[in-house]
Amino acid sequence: MKVYDGSTTETASATGTEPERVKVGIAEYQVASANAILTTSGLGSCLGVGIYDTTAGVAGLVHAMLPSQAEMDETGNDAKFADSGIRRLVADLEREGADRTRLQAKIAGGSDMLDFSESGPGIGARNAEVGRRTLSEFDIPVVAEDVGGERGRSIRLEANTGDLVVKSANRDERRL
Amino acid sequence: MKVDIQSLGTFNRLAHEGAEQATQSMCQMTGLDAVVDVTKISLVDRADVGEQLTGGEYVGVRFDFAGELAGETVLVFDKDGSETIANALVPGGAADEAMARSSVEEVGNIMMSGFIDGWADFLEATIDHSPPQYVEGGGRDILPEVPGGDEATVEGPEAFEGTGGRRNGEDRPADGSLDQVFVFKSEIEWVGESVSFYIYMLPEYGPLSEVMESQADAADDAIPVDKLGVFNEMTYDGTQRAADNVEMMTGIETEAEVTQLSFAPIEDVPKQVGTDTYVGTVVEFTGVPSGYLMVLFDEASAVHIAEAMMPIELDSDELTEQHKQAIEELGNIMTSGFVDGWANVLQTSVDHTPPRLVHDMGRAIVDPLAAQVGQHQEHAFIIDSEMRTEDIAFGAEIQVLPNERELREALDELHVERADQTEANVEQIFE
Repeated sequence: MKVYDGSTTETASATGTEPERVKVGIAEYQVASANAILTTSGLGSCLGVGIYDTTAGVAGLVHAMLPSQAEMDETGNDAKFADSGIRRLVADLEREGADRTRLQAKIAGGSDMLDFSESGPGIGARNAEVGRRTLSEFDIPVVAEDVGGERGRSIRLEANTGDLVVKSANRDERRL
Repeated sequence: MKVDIQSLGTFNRLAHEGAEQATQSMCQMTGLDAVVDVTKISLVDRADVGEQLTGGEYVGVRFDFAGELAGETVLVFDKDGSETIANALVPGGAADEAMARSSVEEVGNIMMSGFIDGWADFLEATIDHSPPQYVEGGGRDILPEVPGGDEATVEGPEAFEGTGGRRNGEDRPADGSLDQVFVFKSEIEWVGESVSFYIYMLPEYGPLSEVMESQADAADDAIPVDKLGVFNEMTYDGTQRAADNVEMMTGIETEAEVTQLSFAPIEDVPKQVGTDTYVGTVVEFTGVPSGYLMVLFDEASAVHIAEAMMPIELDSDELTEQHKQAIEELGNIMTSGFVDGWANVLQTSVDHTPPRLVHDMGRAIVDPLAAQVGQHQEHAFIIDSEMRTEDIAFGAEIQVLPNERELREALDELHVERADQTEANVEQIFE
């Protein structure tokens, strides 16, 4: 059995051409090797952050729900927040052999749909902002993004190329 | 009996971890890859337990357990799932019926022992369980009868006339008390397949309430469970009003069907709806309680119901702007009906924003709302009801996501003279 719970040091064992699909749930993150495709679905205001080092052949994806763990009085699940989720993901990528200077990021999600807050930026916008800021702490460039707007998104990160494919209801796929 | 938010959270985590362990045992044994998708605790009408299974054919393994907690637990596979398991254990095993059956038994035994041991460890107590019993059946028949009698039933105020009379009398006990039970349910998904299986745990009420009370430490948080039960009934009433409004507008006879109050970690809230595309409306409501209310139709239902509202036939099977307008209007009157039902019982006013039309992936619709609620709480109550009609293929879901603090206030406002009072009528409770 392969356990992709983020704490184990798994590598894709399949040697065939069939890529390994790794599903990332809400408030979860996963790290996988180059043969994998990491997917997550139903991003509304949530932020999906894909980070990869194609030279080392590792990639990771986090599906964060809220901007900042520091703002909240809880410490349980790092992957629930954009800031702690990204930090956790970067640490795991490095443990799997990624070189921080080669890491690149692509982000998607953080939409403004159904934001009823009347003052200040909504959660989607804050998720994206905190995501970018945390990535810059590590000097990881955001090389492409598809954020904001009023649509939900499902994404898949192709680990071997770093391509991030974004799907929305009633819109063609976009490949970032 | 009182339940507090803390202990509900603990129980939820425990059930989830039990399901995780059970799933890992299964994965090790079969080499298949599966993950626990959702675990939730629901308070549901006895007759509605297992509603989600309707229409399918299932096999499974059932255990009785007794000790600190007592009741029954069932592992439920759909046919495809059981065949996958059988083939994983013995290639071609699914073709041999006896072998398929023993595979399910074997896997079930391993999984459920892990599940029950997890509970026993947590409670530092002994829980005995019976040998596994292989079961098969259609729909909810796969589940055991929920234990009957006073031991199982949530004690509630008798003769809650607001809704009691309307439920066709079919599942209402003669004494008029609420007939609702707690169900712990985990949904487990094969990775890469659209096959799921379920672990249901149906605890007897008596021992469960004792355990919950012993786990409760912060009495301030505690909500008397009979109030939760009444809240469920209130929601049923609200859904029925929403259904009446649909009927008035479309002429299609519509019935409220299932109502349940569930409790889950905030990150599991978006998983309440599927990944399919939904059409509907969302409002924010303010007052006591406050939160978000969604009226969601799957696309096919949306087209059907919208056309029923239109004076002329549309040729298109696709969802057009005209359909969407009709859905917006319908969502609006359903929301009003629902909220009026609540406000009436709570004797307060509940205001809501104008409805916003949504047409998107189900989970993406719920996710921003869960995130907004999740800024202040780690777990959420989810109020979930469905309506159906016989005439045309149409189903709608109402999902309500209340803010916990205001929900607790609203429940406090439900005035019961003595918390343990079980003989009250609606006028006394809500005066």
